Amino acid sequence: MSEQSDLLPGTLDLLILRTLVLEPSHGWAIAQRIQQVSKERLKVPQGSLYPALHRLEHQGWIRSKWGSSDQQRRAKFYSLTRAGRSQLATEASKWERLSGGVNLVMANE
Amino acid sequence: MRLWNLVVAQVRSLVLRTRRQDELDEELRLHLEQEIAQQVARGLSPEEARRSALRTFGGVEKIKDECRDAWGLRLVDELGRDTRYATRRLARDWRFTLLAVLILALGIGVNTAMFSVINALYSPPATYTDAHQLVNLYQNDRDSGQPGFLGTSYPAYEDMAAYTDLYTGVMATTVPYPMGIYHDERVLRGVAEFATSGYLEVLGLAPSRGRWFTAAEDRPGAEAVAVLSHRAWTTTFEASPSVIGETIRLNGVPVTVIGVGPEGHSSGWWDGITTDFWLSIPTMLAFDDSTNGLERDTREAPFLVKARLRDEVSVPQAQAAMTTLGARLASEFPDEDPGRGISVVRSDTVRIHLEFDGPITAIAWLLMVVVGLVLAIACTNLATWLLVRGLSRAKEVSVRLALGATRGQLVRHLLVESTLLAGAGGVVGGLLAVWAIGLVALLDLPVDVDVGLDYRVLGFTLALSLVTGMTFGLAPALKATRVTLTPALRGEGDSPASGRRAFTLKNVLVVSQVALSCVLLVGAGVFLQWLTTMETADVGFPIDGLAFVETDAGLAGYAPDEAAALYETWRTRVAALPGVESATLAAGPPTGGLDGPFSTREIEVDGYTPADDEFVRGRWTWAGPGYFETLGLPPLYGRTFTEFDRPETPGVVVINEVMARRYFGTPNAVGGRFRVVARSGEAETGAGVELEVVGVVPDTRDWVLRDPLPSFYRSSSQGDGLTPTVVARTALDPVSLLPLMRQTLRDLGGELPVLWARTMPEHVAAALGQSRAAGAFLSGLGALGLGLASLGLYAVMAFGVSRQAREIGIRRALGAGRTHVVWTVSRSVATLLGVGLTIGLGLAWASVRGVAAIATSVTLTVPAIDLMTFGAVSALLGTVGLAAGFFPARRAAKADPLVALRHL
Repeated sequence: MSEQSDLLPGTLDLLILRTLVLEPSHGWAIAQRIQQVSKERLKVPQGSLYPALHRLEHQGWIRSKWGSSDQQRRAKFYSLTRAGRSQLATEASKWERLSGGVNLVMANE
Repeated sequence: MRLWNLVVAQVRSLVLRTRRQDELDEELRLHLEQEIAQQVARGLSPEEARRSALRTFGGVEKIKDECRDAWGLRLVDELGRDTRYATRRLARDWRFTLLAVLILALGIGVNTAMFSVINALYSPPATYTDAHQLVNLYQNDRDSGQPGFLGTSYPAYEDMAAYTDLYTGVMATTVPYPMGIYHDERVLRGVAEFATSGYLEVLGLAPSRGRWFTAAEDRPGAEAVAVLSHRAWTTTFEASPSVIGETIRLNGVPVTVIGVGPEGHSSGWWDGITTDFWLSIPTMLAFDDSTNGLERDTREAPFLVKARLRDEVSVPQAQAAMTTLGARLASEFPDEDPGRGISVVRSDTVRIHLEFDGPITAIAWLLMVVVGLVLAIACTNLATWLLVRGLSRAKEVSVRLALGATRGQLVRHLLVESTLLAGAGGVVGGLLAVWAIGLVALLDLPVDVDVGLDYRVLGFTLALSLVTGMTFGLAPALKATRVTLTPALRGEGDSPASGRRAFTLKNVLVVSQVALSCVLLVGAGVFLQWLTTMETADVGFPIDGLAFVETDAGLAGYAPDEAAALYETWRTRVAALPGVESATLAAGPPTGGLDGPFSTREIEVDGYTPADDEFVRGRWTWAGPGYFETLGLPPLYGRTFTEFDRPETPGVVVINEVMARRYFGTPNAVGGRFRVVARSGEAETGAGVELEVVGVVPDTRDWVLRDPLPSFYRSSSQGDGLTPTVVARTALDPVSLLPLMRQTLRDLGGELPVLWARTMPEHVAAALGQSRAAGAFLSGLGALGLGLASLGLYAVMAFGVSRQAREIGIRRALGAGRTHVVWTVSRSVATLLGVGLTIGLGLAWASVRGVAAIATSVTLTVPAIDLMTFGAVSALLGTVGLAAGFFPARRAAKADPLVALRHL
């Protein structure tokens, strides 16, 4: 639990959307997956996760549906909408430009 | 699409709110459970796992709040909270709330009701298809050269109608005539117009049932036919389809109903008139005294002519052609039609008649100004209260600012409060308006008017009160949020110096309220005084103890000579009733009525040379035996009629004083001679006969108490003039006499209808009823204005004094006497009052002058500018205003100076 870093502002939305491309998922699972995929480097701030989910849903990028989890427990599953997919593309290209730019600057001797 | 999704999401958020709260709880609970499960799996005890999970998660309530924000419900939540908060505040200040709602309701209610009534009375011109093609054709008045109210003759209409190259159609209709309709064994009153065959077609209308007159029915000799108005058909005739083809009796004349007029069409003149029948032109000849209407002479011609222009014809072109026609008529008929020309006026520019439209507009405006004044006072008043309240809340505002409220939140609170107030005022005001309109409908208006609540007006007044509430609630609120915290928190309020400025908003509001109320009160006062003069105006003879009953034997089918005998029998029987001092016969109610006993006729007076174009005329009526004795009109000179005045003796006449002075140059005109000019083609008893004046009697006034006109009386024994009215004088209560008089009429047999049965005092009072209602209305508004202004003054004064409490305390502590303190405060009140009164009296003087100008133009008695009223109003407002300042000042002066000082 040592190498974890805080998320850059605005990246949480992107990460949530990217995670949901694979399959519909509930809040806790989204956080877990982000941590696993990032090899525990990224830690989702749990206080911001749910407000972010509700905001994305209100904006129409994801939609929610009650289903049962792996442990047969009732859980709220979020999935990507079509608007969410195009939003993900926009956000992803924005992120690429940003990280690419940062990398170039950092690589400059 | 995106926007739509947002809207849907918003609505869903609102609707599914509680469910979403529960779902959110469950969602978060699940998260925590899984987190705990994970920690337990890593080897922590369940208790430690729970604590750790909660720690990583953060504040659950905060997260929930942020989620709810994400739903976009925050604004709605806060508005709801503001509303609840404002409601609580308003409920706590219930005195203020009640007052504000009441002020608003009165302002909104009175205005809405009044504007609705004015709108209904002053209904816009009826809209016909292609109204721009419709023109009114007037023969000009021979005196003024302007379009006269009466004065387009039937032959002239026929000449106009011959211009088929200008018009696709021309129609003529007469002024509405009152008629008795014999229906269902009763005589009802109705109104009839005589109209030509083109009437409906020119207006672009069609009968709703049956048919209209044909061109053949315009010509003399055709059968007498009538078209019922749709309204009369549905009410009087209960929408019976069998009425078409039926014969009905109007004023005893049988006419056949051939159709029912268009629905919603009330009259060719003006929508305010409700005509019950249209009669064909030849029917005029069947009615007494209407024969002159079809002659070339323009003086008593009763027609209104409307024409529909051909597409290519303009109004100036039609005017040019009509001017030529006018000149031709003048050269052909120099006596009957002395050539003042013909005017062509577009119909949609005329409301009732060119002559009346101006004054009616003026009166409507006048009423609107009066009501507007009340609204202005109500708004200023509310503004004062809100201002005072806003300022006195400076402390509360500071506390809340200090506790971290933003200015936006504070302003929103205050706005919500004002809106709530205005809304409540609007609802109560709307109810008040409905109630007031109900009252107006009970009044006996001269024309039947369909009055309904005008929602546009209600909306307008409501909007106005909202704006007032917002503006005057917001201004102090904004000012209050800018206060420096410390002094306000210490309860210091304004420094005394700030009260010394002359043009504070507060002072302006007080002065304008005083001034506006002043105008309103002076207006009401002057009007009431004018009314009193009217009421005390003498009709010219003692009316107490007089009663009259009018019948019409013609309606029951009696011939004139039979009728005359019947009336005489009836009179002698009434005279024999117990308590009756004397009874006489008259042609109608002695002061006249809608169809009074006098008919105006042209006369030729020996030795009197009329001025150019002067129409020498007098009002003629028939007087039965003992007429002047019963009424109480002893002759000033000469004698009245005796039994020696017989049909075979020379014609004698009694005239009134005005006639004696005007045409004989002396009040003692006994021995003077004149003739009534016979109407051509008419064999009328008494017309053309040489008449000798045998007596002069005092002037009497007619039923609306206008100034006396030249009048003459002829003895009923010298003609077969119809005198169907018995007038009786009793020493007892005349009200108790009326049933007996009706009974004697019934005892005569022959189903004689009762057209009128009234005591004279009732009859005179009824004529004044409208003015009295208007007077009551105006005084009510005046009282309302006074009440509001006093409240406003009191609010400002009480507030001002309470702000000066500290100053007063210091003064008292330093040894100032109570009287001195009260005097200081009262002096500032007196200054405000003085300024307000000066402005108000000036405005009032100007408005009374304005009203006088309008009144003159509609030949009403001019209200005099009366210093008494001005003085009384000043005294009243001054007293109320000083009292409003005095009581708070005395209370402040009485307070313990130490208590006041402790507020330091």
